[in-house]
Amino acid sequence: MLLFAGTIFGISLSYDLYSDLGPGPGLFPAWLSGFLIILSLFYIWESIKKEVILLQKILPKGKGKKKVLTLLGSIVLFILIAPYIGFTMAAIVMLFMILIAEFKWYWGVGISTAISILLFLVFDSFLHVPLPVNAFGF
Amino acid sequence: MESLLQLLSGFETALTWWNILYCLIGVSLGMLVGVLPGLGPTAGTAVLLPITFGMEPVSAIIMLSGIYYGAMYGGTITSVLINTPGEAASVITCLDGYPLAKQGRAGTALGVAGIGSFIGGTVSILGLAFIGPPVAKIALNFGPPEFFALMVLGLTLVVGLMGKSLIKGMMASVFGLTLAMVGTDSLTGVARFAFGQQNLVNGFDFVTVAMGLFGLSEILTNAESNVKAEKMPKVKGLLPRREERGPTLAAIGRGTGLGFLIGLLPGSNSVIPALMSYSLEKKLAKDPSRFGKGAVEGVAGPETANNAYCGGALIPLFTLGIPSSPTIAVLLGAFIMHGLTPGPTLFQTNGNFVWAVIASMFVGNFLLLIMNLPLAGVWAKIATIPTKLLFPIILIISVLGVYSVNNSLWDVGVMLAFGIIGYFLKKGNIPLAPIVLTFVLGKLMEDSLLQSLTIFHGNFWAIFLRPISGTLLSIAIAALIVSLITGIKKKRSPYLDGDVEM
Repeated sequence: MLLFAGTIFGISLSYDLYSDLGPGPGLFPAWLSGFLIILSLFYIWESIKKEVILLQKILPKGKGKKKVLTLLGSIVLFILIAPYIGFTMAAIVMLFMILIAEFKWYWGVGISTAISILLFLVFDSFLHVPLPVNAFGF
Repeated sequence: MESLLQLLSGFETALTWWNILYCLIGVSLGMLVGVLPGLGPTAGTAVLLPITFGMEPVSAIIMLSGIYYGAMYGGTITSVLINTPGEAASVITCLDGYPLAKQGRAGTALGVAGIGSFIGGTVSILGLAFIGPPVAKIALNFGPPEFFALMVLGLTLVVGLMGKSLIKGMMASVFGLTLAMVGTDSLTGVARFAFGQQNLVNGFDFVTVAMGLFGLSEILTNAESNVKAEKMPKVKGLLPRREERGPTLAAIGRGTGLGFLIGLLPGSNSVIPALMSYSLEKKLAKDPSRFGKGAVEGVAGPETANNAYCGGALIPLFTLGIPSSPTIAVLLGAFIMHGLTPGPTLFQTNGNFVWAVIASMFVGNFLLLIMNLPLAGVWAKIATIPTKLLFPIILIISVLGVYSVNNSLWDVGVMLAFGIIGYFLKKGNIPLAPIVLTFVLGKLMEDSLLQSLTIFHGNFWAIFLRPISGTLLSIAIAALIVSLITGIKKKRSPYLDGDVEM
């Protein structure tokens, strides 16, 4: 948070704080990030003095860690492959990645295919959202 | 009288077949969100927001507000039947609702909660209809300094009331405000913090941020903790015993007043009236020892209060354009997305719209009453859907929803980033609600501050010299000092720990 605030503060100062018209674009961000720097310092001091938050406590562990990483990985993969293989295929891959840990593989394939096709139909045909598609149009 | 006529004309719009259908969809989705443990109304509203893009603004807001108050009804069912609150406001209901269910009186608990919710909800909407317009009229005299002061007050109250630590709350709100600074400056047109990225010139989209912070982070937390479904008892007999009827009705009456009044305070949340109503009922009861073992008033009071709160909490949004809770912030986002600016002028410029939405809430509450009393058992079954199937579906719908905001995968990436940020902040006990609230208010707040500074030729302290803005800022400072003192004395309620979703 301190790093974030410091960066924002630095950049804010590069904008005009005041212009001929009145207050400039950098004024409010500079105030805010300055305030955030003070708060972050306070927070660091408080966490060292009173309640130490261990990194181990915040990071997921064991089975939970695997699940969280799978979820995140599936979204990243979706973003990467959707422009090339289209929404439906990408969604099937994404859902299958998550479901395979909990269901038998054939159930995983079945459920992810059914959901993806249903959603494609709803969003593409009913709500007219231009979803990314492959050469075959889905 | 004028309000009554306008309300009647609102019914004209609200009672068209399409709007009744949207209202029904909204309240059903709200019930669903309320029933499903681990998915709160804020996440629910945020996930479904993009679906309303193609809709008429009136229908969109009717549906989204249906989700908002519908969730309050839904949360009760799981609290009573399986001792798992579907959303935070129903935590208190578990205390007496579940013991009642174990005594075979689940029907009574749900019946009383349903009737109480209906009465509380309806009365508070009446309050909104009749108090809203005069408040808006007063607010019409507000200039930029007053609005700036009002927003500071609202935010201070949010920070003061939410979370365990004042510093964490303040950090979260300043972080949210800073995020709102990304994008083009409205006064000078300079692109700020865009780092040469075309996608950042317009700033972060509210839906993307809200969905990441609330939707995705919630899915991640749930994936880790594994929510499990429980067996549930049967539901039969909906009315309390004859000797219980008097005290129950009195509890409903008190809950209505309490919930509505607390709703008016910016920065409150629906847990507070529920909690206060419970302790009030316990204090007033002839035999307080019954509480916690299945007292009907212990269900009736809090459930009425959290629904009455919903109507009250909409008053600051409709009249001042200030959201008092994260779900209302999402609603504010929806207003802006559909080209409407909530605030004092809303009743004048979009009168038809406001009255139609208010009228639809009467319809919605009625629909919810029907859905709840005979169908409670059916809804409870939904809570037993395995989360291993449910959460992947919610995830893909969120991805689709975010994508459809600008038809761009960039937004999906932004949601992912905010999901991860939200997940870690939650773990570090930093409240998320202030981030979303300040993010949605950030631009408005900056504009009103800069306009004020322009009016006063750069003299910030002049804002304190105007009577209304000076008073509001003084109250804000006082509130901050009070919460600092209570923070030091550690007198905060355990129910207000961390994030409270309304």
